[in-house]
Amino acid sequence: MKKILAMCMALALVLSFGSFAMGEAEPVNVAIVVAGGLGDRSFYDSANEGLQSLIADYGVNGTVIECKEDASMYTTQLINAAETNDFVVAVGWQFWDGLVEIVPELPDTRFIFVDNGLDGVGDNLMSITYAQNEGSFLVGYIAAKLSETGKIGAVGGMDNETINDFLVGYEAGAKYADEAVEVHTIFAGDFEDPAKGKENALALYSMGCDIVFQVAGKTGEGVFEAAVETGNYAIGVDSDQKYINPDVIICSMIKQVGLSIYDTVAAYIDNGEFRGGEIWVADMATGFIDVGYGEEDMVQQVPDDLKAEVAELKEKIIAGEIEVPSAL
Amino acid sequence: MSDILNLGLLQNTLRTATPVILAALGVLMTDHVGIMNIGMDGMMLTSAFFAVVGSYYLGSWVGGVAAALIAGLLLGIFFAVFVIKFRSDEFIIGVALNIFAGGLTVFLLRSMFGVKGAFSSPDIVGLPTFSMPWLEKIPVIGPLLNENTLLVYVSWLLVALCWALIYRTPWGFWLRAAGEHPESLRSAGISPEKMKYEASLLCGVFAGLAGAHLSLGYLTMFTENMSASRGFIAVACVIFGASNPPRVFAAALLFGFIDALGMRLQSVGFNSNLTSMAPYVVTVVMMVLVVLRANHRKKKLARA
Repeated sequence: MKKILAMCMALALVLSFGSFAMGEAEPVNVAIVVAGGLGDRSFYDSANEGLQSLIADYGVNGTVIECKEDASMYTTQLINAAETNDFVVAVGWQFWDGLVEIVPELPDTRFIFVDNGLDGVGDNLMSITYAQNEGSFLVGYIAAKLSETGKIGAVGGMDNETINDFLVGYEAGAKYADEAVEVHTIFAGDFEDPAKGKENALALYSMGCDIVFQVAGKTGEGVFEAAVETGNYAIGVDSDQKYINPDVIICSMIKQVGLSIYDTVAAYIDNGEFRGGEIWVADMATGFIDVGYGEEDMVQQVPDDLKAEVAELKEKIIAGEIEVPSAL
Repeated sequence: MSDILNLGLLQNTLRTATPVILAALGVLMTDHVGIMNIGMDGMMLTSAFFAVVGSYYLGSWVGGVAAALIAGLLLGIFFAVFVIKFRSDEFIIGVALNIFAGGLTVFLLRSMFGVKGAFSSPDIVGLPTFSMPWLEKIPVIGPLLNENTLLVYVSWLLVALCWALIYRTPWGFWLRAAGEHPESLRSAGISPEKMKYEASLLCGVFAGLAGAHLSLGYLTMFTENMSASRGFIAVACVIFGASNPPRVFAAALLFGFIDALGMRLQSVGFNSNLTSMAPYVVTVVMMVLVVLRANHRKKKLARA
């Protein structure tokens, strides 16, 4: 009796393997590895939205791996992800060194490096950088136009190239609107400490800045609290953050991280295209950088004529009539 | 210059120092009985989470503070049982508490509220702020003392109260004896273990207050790992201040001041990496000074 049972089970096992192999093409496995943690309602969450859409539209197997700013995890988690996935998306400049090290050794995995331009490492790595300076130019212009004190501020997460690219664009936009506007910047030195972000913003508001642009991930949540407390305005980043507090967040500089990941993986699934070894600059012309004013039913602090001016500026930037300086 | 040395700088100092001083009062209680509680950061984080839970579900800040106090107390008991009863290493338990708190709060945040990273809602009732109209007429001091949240004032009271308790009551004498000479305390008929338990429980209460202040007073939200090492800064302050509440308060204020000054110096062109280093440079310098002074005092005693 036992023997028969064992044979039946073995047969069932073999059959199930057979049917598995005969089924549809295996789904693509995609892992996104984020340097910080999800829940910033900004950069990392945007990347995750891209993955979720891929799961919904293409049925990919998606995984999110969070490194929680633990530097010892960056390389290890990339390797772990590479073992079981066709695509590994590294989200954050922190992965630079790890990618340089492991990409040549794992030629079967396709890597996408988000937010930094890294080339010459291998044909299995594609980098996506964003023209955040262009979008920041527009929000800087809005801030300068709406400021009553002639002083505007920005809270940066860390003093690095990507963050500075936002700030350079922001300042250029502000100066374009009004040469006399003063722009003050404070770096929190942390992307995960909203209490610090609140202090940073309060310091800027007490200096007389009445609009503060947050470029600091979760730290930026504190900037919004400071804006509420002092009755000033703030500008969101990466995602359209107005919904977090429509009364104080006047607009957001949108960087479509998720969409860019979506497009890259979708292009591969649709027609096998992968631009390995390249650096793709996702910019305003291609629709990956924009300004968001939230939903229509939310309070709007930016008047319609200013929105129209911004739209004109946007056209000029796309046409190349305005050259926005960059820190990259 | 007026951009840097203004009232905001002092207000900033006070705000930054408050969660640290509340936590430090807890750490110094256990320090007096000879237990260094490096798990304060985790205790604070857990309390901060439960403060938000309490405030959100009960709809009042009192509920939030109560929930934070209960969470703090439970962790205090946990800490005490392992360190005092089972004689585990206090550092290992402290580290365990920190890691546990990081995991627990993230897990509960995601399972209870279904959000990742940050939880903020208009239903979270923050701590009330107080202002006394007569104070406003005094320049600098008026606006500095006014408009603070409840636990800021409570923290000042507690500093004085703890000082009186530790240095002016028999209980405080026993507390210190439990750390310095447990055997002589035992020969006087008082159990050092009992004192250690009481100190750990008080430590839990202060952790609860520190957490509640962080998530309901300082901010009105909870975010993952929001204690951001403030518990460790508190431990450093306790060491500077030799566990004497007013001195520890001064150390916390100094930390707050350097931090506040650092972020303002950036706006006049100082490199941010340099300014974020400042609190830690001050730590090292202070540490050296504390050791030098202690050595000097020892030599003086030896000569006498």
